[in-house]
Amino acid sequence: MSDSINRSDSYVELRNINKHFKDFHATKDANISIKKGKLVALLGPSGSGKTTILRMIAGLEQPDSGEILIDGKVVNNVPGSERGIGFVFQSYALFRYQTVYENIAFGLRVKKVPEKEIKKRVSELLTLISCEGLENRYPSQLSGGQRQRVAFARALAPNPQILLLDEPFAAIDAKVRLELRTWLKEMITKIGITSIFVTHDQDEAIEVADEIIVTNQGRVEQSGTPQELYSRPKTEFVAKFLGNSTVVQNFERFKYFEKQDEDVTAILRPEFVSIYKKDENVQFVRSVEEATVEDIIFRGSNMEIKVKLHGNLISALRSINDPIIEVGEKVNVFIYRLFVISRDKVELIHNLSLKQETVVI
Amino acid sequence: MELRKNSGAIKWALILLCFVFLAVFLLLPLFYIVITALRDGISGYINAITDEYALKAVWLTVQATLWAVIINTIFGISAAWLLTKYSFRGKKILSTFIDLPVTVSPIIAGLIYVLTFGRQGVLYDYLDPLGIQIIFAVPGIVLATIFVTFPFISRELIPVLTAQGVDEEEAAALMGAGTFTIFRKVTLPHIKWALLYGVVLCTARAMGEFGAVSVLSGHLRGKTNTLPLYIELLYQGYDFTGAFASSSILVVMAVIVLILRLIIEKKGKKELDNKK
Repeated sequence: MSDSINRSDSYVELRNINKHFKDFHATKDANISIKKGKLVALLGPSGSGKTTILRMIAGLEQPDSGEILIDGKVVNNVPGSERGIGFVFQSYALFRYQTVYENIAFGLRVKKVPEKEIKKRVSELLTLISCEGLENRYPSQLSGGQRQRVAFARALAPNPQILLLDEPFAAIDAKVRLELRTWLKEMITKIGITSIFVTHDQDEAIEVADEIIVTNQGRVEQSGTPQELYSRPKTEFVAKFLGNSTVVQNFERFKYFEKQDEDVTAILRPEFVSIYKKDENVQFVRSVEEATVEDIIFRGSNMEIKVKLHGNLISALRSINDPIIEVGEKVNVFIYRLFVISRDKVELIHNLSLKQETVVI
Repeated sequence: MELRKNSGAIKWALILLCFVFLAVFLLLPLFYIVITALRDGISGYINAITDEYALKAVWLTVQATLWAVIINTIFGISAAWLLTKYSFRGKKILSTFIDLPVTVSPIIAGLIYVLTFGRQGVLYDYLDPLGIQIIFAVPGIVLATIFVTFPFISRELIPVLTAQGVDEEEAAALMGAGTFTIFRKVTLPHIKWALLYGVVLCTARAMGEFGAVSVLSGHLRGKTNTLPLYIELLYQGYDFTGAFASSSILVVMAVIVLILRLIIEKKGKKELDNKK
């Protein structure tokens, strides 16, 4: 839908791609453009077609219509093995009857690289993934994190131009996942390889990727930098999907928000809302509203406070250093801004009192 | 909970039941075979099993078994590979048809071939001028043996290949490996033990096949008599020593296969545990 990226210098490009699986329309008119050297996330809920897009770029699936271009050349009829691609599978797909060494060497052996060079390249990669000394182990004798790194090394061994990763962190436990994210981003930046990874985890996409392509129901909803998507969503789906969003039906009842057309909804995120105790000093005294605290969730580094306002359950974050709020307490709520959605257009609306204050001062 | 409380008593009752069952229906008859075979002394036994026709029957059985195993291995691997790695229209039907020989009575299997290749058969007019005789000849016996052992290998391979998925093959293909390399380096190590196990089952079944072979053989002594048919012939002729002595050959062959089966099962399981 959107096209914030300049087309002419794109390295990987999808033009009007459609793909069906029997009656299921998995990819609908997808247009994607990825620049050389970028680390791009394909983000969407499960079943949104993100993996299908990745597999079509790899040549593991054929699009029904449309063109796939790599480095300016249409590659629809080029087999995956000749597209200069390294692929890391969600399950890693390491060859379980081959050692780590044999796994990494596989792509080079197929290309009939001399044994001496293979040895050099494998040990180079083992150093890169800090798995020296593990070359004679079998995949079953590795930890989840090590397996992922071996899969990464195996994909990189034949020096591909593009690295594709399908849900690279899905099979790893939470703690190691965070470490691997940082590690992967560093590795990819160091090597400078154009990379595309699929994820359903927005935190992962926002943290790791230079650019995010959001997919939903087979369509590309929006693409751009994490900041762009987060602060300027262009479709209802993106506004709802990113951040911890709450849908509000009757936002015109909020103080200093004017009623728009009929049948519009608004989306609130915790960072759009501030909650104060009754006796706290507030900058916008006139424009706060009273609400009752319904629930408090301790999140370790901060607290999520849920309050009921005009029938809506609204979340806001408070630092653990702020005065303590209790459930059932009456508090002051101030809403800075919200996203208003009308006919699949998303608009950022600010609290009117903010404008007035500036005028007064 | 009920099951656990009474586990001691039930366990022993089941053990007793199984052992008594095995003793009455399996061990006793086997013992009887040995006793009867040795009724006329060791020399009578040796005479019986070194009889010219007996040896020819053994050789024919070995031949038919080898052919069945070779052809079913090739077919089994192809069918299992097709059914697990590709999706296409009619996949379910194909899968069901592969199982058909197990459900059809071997006699019917024999008759089907008589009707197809016999004098009244559709193909007879084409094959006869070429000098190809199928029924009442060795090819017919091989055909019948292949038919009854048809699904043994593919059925062993399908679950293993399904569990493996296609990721490893796709990974290998993306790195530029050809189909044969993928099969040799990725698929074969994975299915090795299941394949051997299937071969063993197929061998066991092929050696003992009687019904379908009986219809197609024509019972020409020394020409188209397999070991099971030869045994029946002796038995019908009241040559009990000969019949039971020949039976003991089949029993020994079966025991060898059984031991092979145990070894393969054990090794395969061990490897699977290591490489999971």
